[in-house]
Amino acid sequence: MAVCVGIIGKDNSPKFFTCLNPAEELNFQYKVLSALDVVEEKLNCGSKGATDLRELYLGMLYTLETHKIYGYVTNTKIKFIIVVDSTNMALRDNEIRSMFRKIHSEYADIVCNPFYIPGEPICSKSFTGSIKNIMTGTV
Amino acid sequence: MAEETLFEVLHSEIINYVLQNGESRNKDGKDEDLSTIEYIGFSTGYRLIERLTKEMPRFKDELDTMKFICTDFWSAVYKKQIDNLRTNHQGIYVLQDNAFRFLTKISNGKQYLEAAPRYVSFTCGIIRGCLANLNIFCLVTAEVQNMPSCKFHIQVQRT
Amino acid sequence: MRSSVSYILSSSTSEPNMSHPDYEQYSHDHAALLVLVRHIGNQLKPKIFMKFYDRISKINSVKITDSTGIVRNILIRYVKEHPVENNDWGDFQTHRRLLGLVSLGKYDSQQELNEICRVHESFKVKYNSTLFDSRCILFGPTKESESPADDSPSSGSSGDSENNTDYVIEKFTTPSNFKTRALFYDVSSPCVDLESQLNEFINSLFWVLESKRLERSREKLERVSLLLAPFEKKDFVGLDMESRNNKKRCTGRMTKHLGDLCLQAGLLCESLAYYSQAAEILKSVNDWLWLGAAYEGLSAASALVLYPEMQRNISLHRNASLQEGSPRKSSQTPPATGIVIKKVVANALAPEEMSRRYREAIIHYSKYQNAGIVETEASFKAARIAVEQNHALQAASFLQNVVYINLTLSEQEKIQRFETLADLYTQIGFVRKAAFCLRLAATRYVSPQNPAPNWARCYGLMLQSLSGHHLTLDPVEMREADQGWPALQIQLIQELVVAARRTGHSALATRHMTFLLQTMWQHLSSTEQKELAMQLQSLSAQCEGSPVPLVLDSGLVMPPANLTDIPVCASFALKDLQPHLRPRRIECVKQETGPFLFTPIHFGGGSLDRRSKKANAKMDFLWVKNEVCEVQLKLTNPLPFELKVSNMRLLTAGVVFESVPETIVLPPDIPTSLTLSGWARENGELELSGYSTHALGVKSNCRLRHMRSPATFPPHYKVEVVPSLPLLEVSTSLPRSATFSNFHDDSTVTSASTALYHGESTQCTVTLKNVGQVPIEFFEVEMNSVLDPALQEQIFSWDKEEVENLLPIAPGHEGSLVLRLHSSANFLAPNVAVSPTIPQDVSSGLFSSMSASIPGGSLPSRINSSFRSSNSGQSSLAGGLAALFHQHPGTSVVEGQLKLRYSGADGIAADYCRSCSVFFMLEMLPSLHVTNWDVLPAEVNSQFYLVLDIANLTNQEMELQYTPSKTMLIEGQESCRVPIPVDRCPLSKLCDLYHELDDNTKNDVDINKICSGHITQLVDLRWHLLGTGSRGVAPLNGITLTSRMLDIVRMSPLDWEVSLNGDMVRTQEEVSCEAGDCLELKMSIVNSLEKTLRQLTLSVQFYQDYENGSLNYRMDTRLAVAGSTKKILSVLEPHSKANHECNVIFFTPGQYKMDIQCCAPDSQSVARVNPLLSTGHTWRFTPTILIQVN
Repeated sequence: MAVCVGIIGKDNSPKFFTCLNPAEELNFQYKVLSALDVVEEKLNCGSKGATDLRELYLGMLYTLETHKIYGYVTNTKIKFIIVVDSTNMALRDNEIRSMFRKIHSEYADIVCNPFYIPGEPICSKSFTGSIKNIMTGTV
Repeated sequence: MAEETLFEVLHSEIINYVLQNGESRNKDGKDEDLSTIEYIGFSTGYRLIERLTKEMPRFKDELDTMKFICTDFWSAVYKKQIDNLRTNHQGIYVLQDNAFRFLTKISNGKQYLEAAPRYVSFTCGIIRGCLANLNIFCLVTAEVQNMPSCKFHIQVQRT
Repeated sequence: MRSSVSYILSSSTSEPNMSHPDYEQYSHDHAALLVLVRHIGNQLKPKIFMKFYDRISKINSVKITDSTGIVRNILIRYVKEHPVENNDWGDFQTHRRLLGLVSLGKYDSQQELNEICRVHESFKVKYNSTLFDSRCILFGPTKESESPADDSPSSGSSGDSENNTDYVIEKFTTPSNFKTRALFYDVSSPCVDLESQLNEFINSLFWVLESKRLERSREKLERVSLLLAPFEKKDFVGLDMESRNNKKRCTGRMTKHLGDLCLQAGLLCESLAYYSQAAEILKSVNDWLWLGAAYEGLSAASALVLYPEMQRNISLHRNASLQEGSPRKSSQTPPATGIVIKKVVANALAPEEMSRRYREAIIHYSKYQNAGIVETEASFKAARIAVEQNHALQAASFLQNVVYINLTLSEQEKIQRFETLADLYTQIGFVRKAAFCLRLAATRYVSPQNPAPNWARCYGLMLQSLSGHHLTLDPVEMREADQGWPALQIQLIQELVVAARRTGHSALATRHMTFLLQTMWQHLSSTEQKELAMQLQSLSAQCEGSPVPLVLDSGLVMPPANLTDIPVCASFALKDLQPHLRPRRIECVKQETGPFLFTPIHFGGGSLDRRSKKANAKMDFLWVKNEVCEVQLKLTNPLPFELKVSNMRLLTAGVVFESVPETIVLPPDIPTSLTLSGWARENGELELSGYSTHALGVKSNCRLRHMRSPATFPPHYKVEVVPSLPLLEVSTSLPRSATFSNFHDDSTVTSASTALYHGESTQCTVTLKNVGQVPIEFFEVEMNSVLDPALQEQIFSWDKEEVENLLPIAPGHEGSLVLRLHSSANFLAPNVAVSPTIPQDVSSGLFSSMSASIPGGSLPSRINSSFRSSNSGQSSLAGGLAALFHQHPGTSVVEGQLKLRYSGADGIAADYCRSCSVFFMLEMLPSLHVTNWDVLPAEVNSQFYLVLDIANLTNQEMELQYTPSKTMLIEGQESCRVPIPVDRCPLSKLCDLYHELDDNTKNDVDINKICSGHITQLVDLRWHLLGTGSRGVAPLNGITLTSRMLDIVRMSPLDWEVSLNGDMVRTQEEVSCEAGDCLELKMSIVNSLEKTLRQLTLSVQFYQDYENGSLNYRMDTRLAVAGSTKKILSVLEPHSKANHECNVIFFTPGQYKMDIQCCAPDSQSVARVNPLLSTGHTWRFTPTILIQVN
């Protein structure tokens, strides 16, 4: 179960942000924002020729005392960030990866929604619902 | 098969619609205003590419992206691949389709050559939209010399 | 990275702990000699101390040739503080030992000197265990009394200190117990030998170190005592030191220690060998802490081999701007030797190895709680190496590790830790992470745990963290920049506000809050918006915000923040002047006021219009210098409470503009209009770029281009200002009209209305007062109406000369103009038979401006409506008019516009004038009406009677004067018949026509016209309404005559002479005779035309008139005529006479009439010589002669 999911646009500003405990949102925002440094660094390294980074999933970006932060960047430079509780041992790399895939599918769908303008913050309720389901593992 | 025909027919209807609308607005304009169609293509491509690249590994570079456009992308949209890709390695790519889908239904001779730009501008827009979302900003133009064959010129804008 | 078995190996917390971390360490510092540079006493200014400290710090590498002739590169590290506890870790890592002391002090007296020496000595005692040597730099009193000649040699030749001491020794000497080498200097002198002195000092340190190293290396490794980290002492109490394991441990630790010493002594290769050897040994005995140290040493030595130039930037601290470029590459040490060594050195680690070893070292350290600081420092050192290797992710992971280490640190140390982290994160380009650390550091400065909160430092760090959060301080840039993370940005700015307020810089607090509202408005919830606005209000109460840059002490410039969208501006419209004030081109001939100039095309539809509106930055109207110019704003208050906006002025560029400040109170969310006004004080182009406000206690310059309003504005509007023009105030002597209907021209300034009976006249005085500041030197009057010009002139007229004499009208003066009004009307009832021939000038115009107030209501409403809607269309008018002519003339209204154009002074030069107009409404009431008319022959041949049926259409008694001497009274609404004797139309008036050769029909009309004109001229009907005293005339313009009438009206071209029995026949004279008598009838005609008449037939006819309408021409039985009754005259020359005679005998008595006539031939039979005659026209001798036969 992820505690927080963020979708960050090409311009590195948040397009969608949700966490299980809304009271902690601001804290998570700081964490996710900091994670972008790592994402950018990883993408830069990728261009230097490291072939293993051709996967969209970037793996764990960094760990905090309480949380682990994972990243995923689409070909269109949209960043997905998942924050997981460090104590959560159930979620392994593969589970995280599949969560990201599901998020990507949802994102691809919302981009095809004529009422969503790419680059704007996402405020669709059904999208939020789907992401919450992915976070909690109910799908 | 039905959905392919549907796509073609819808495409030509959109073009008719846009041109009629444009006509009523500027009667004096000699050149048809195809920018609306191009923009429809741009928007389509911009949204579409998100889905089409979902399962793709990260592109290594620009050329890798172009190859994707020529193969996977073209197949997804036009059920065939680009026949020839050429580049000067300095940001210019020429994609040649020997039997471009939207032109194959039109008589081959010179008769409709003038009307050809109408049927390629949507695709120009799609290419531009796809690449824009992949962070490659470019100009896309099309060139039709012999009817069903079409060359798309992509000129990447380096900032 | 941390070991999962943390803390298991050392549990006690009471152990001595190295509590003062040194975050600035580089791995190279392992090889450096640690020297403390102290500032002693208060005399020496900190600035001067820093100057010398920096100078000393430059001596960070010294080449020393050892006894074997090898050049050693000795590194020195200078510190300003060194906690003495850290010395305890000297066994563990020798670079932690303080080896040297340099103190700096200034004295003015012996006493002060003694004090400095005492303090110096106390420091020596403090670091006694490790100190090798020390120096004391002493600055003597400034020798003002000394002559420069004495001064310069002493300071210039201060090559050796003895010289100096000699010189000063006369006055001051160090206390006898002071064993330190003292260096005396003058603060202001260049102190040229300082470097060589320090070199010497370093040398001395090196030799002591070298000797210690040699001493150590000669010890037998088997016998060495166990070296311990400070906290380990208890762990080994009671342990069997002789065990094999512990022996190995001793050996391993000593080997590692030797490595440290070699490294410090500049023997890289040896140290590498020792370290790797030590690592082997320590690993085998699981001595993790020391293994870590060995690995660290190995890496440090390797780094020195690979990156000899890596070093801290000397001026790195707090001076971020100087840090740009390549801080680590300020090469001072010649790298040549390093490169040589790199290739040779055995045991040196590869770059990737280095990080791996460091990682292992850190993991090993992490197993000991008490080694936390060592671990922290190692992490920083490792990170710095990773930075050098340009391996950001690795550096990041080392830095991330730092945060995990649980240390009991003072707040200050925690802050330093975050600052150092931020610095390193910045170096690897992790700006967000750096910003995060800076913000944490900032909050630590003011955390409740901090015993000495420092809001200023907090504020400074907050500012530094802005860029990492994608924030710039310029609101304009912010709007253009990409979006950042609004939620975080809002929090950060709010914190910044608090910090600025607590620092006591309320201007900054206001500025930041303004910035927050301005840039983050759309990301704030409405409650937040409200709360922040209230906060801003209370902040600005302390210090008002104004749109000027603020310069901080640090030199940072805080750009102005303007609240451009509080209130929201929905429209910004420059207003044209009132139509009558608008400047117009003088030479502009084209009338703009015509009702037909309005074309819907100008208002075009759709997108085109919208596009043009946007680009329309240049106004198509003009403003006038020194006259009020207005801009209308539509403002909305986005806040849920009442907002007072004061001091609103226009922001302009270009010509000088004086703006009037306005204040407005805006209720929440209701769009309110406001007009800002001012005066342009020059002519030329004026640019309006927005307006200034004072809202929520903040002064703002709201520029259109910065507004986020729903409306998109051009960056500025431009308008042309023309020179001053005079200003007319116009009044009339007539009452104003209630409405002015048909004229859409809004330049009308006043109006005048009156009612006149048809034929009545009046005068209206138009008073012109110049209320402007410029004399009127140009003046033009013009009347506009929809009337035909000729008719208009009848109704409205004025004296042109009078107008010219008015000028000039000086400011404050008056002039007047008399306008005559005349109610012109058609007094004649239409003669149905001839109505198509109504002259054009009568049918045009007059009724077209008539409103539909036709009395009697008999007019069908169909006509009414069609009439009204068609008052501009001539074609549809015809129908309405024709219908009208069948009615009695009704009340009609004529509207006219007196247009005045005037200018003066510079205005004329610039070709501008003003135009205003006075609206006239003239109600024309029917007075009298000629319902029918006829002409009768008069008693004399030279006259005829015009018989008029005149109806008094008023309700009053009317006195009608129809000849100079005759008057008649007509009751209201009554009608009566008057005969008016009129001279017949003389041939002289008609003669022109007789020369005309063509177009008969036209001639008919022309004759009609001339005769009608003749009547109009001669008949002077004057009426006088007895009730109101109104007087007027009733000209018979346009009277139409049948051809029968025409014959009577005009003089015959033939003069008749008729005689009976020799007596001339006179008109109205009855002739009587007896039956059977023979009457001799003689007649003669004279052609009084200038033209020859041909083919005339002169004839006589008798008949009886039964007076019942029937005439009997059958006279055969009643009379006989002797002689011909007809005579053909082939030619009648002008002025010649033709005669004819005959006799007549009446057989029976009775009344007979004799008709004598002269016929012109038919047109077919005669050559069309004379059109008048060719019509087959007949002239009669009138009246017919009546003969009474008895």
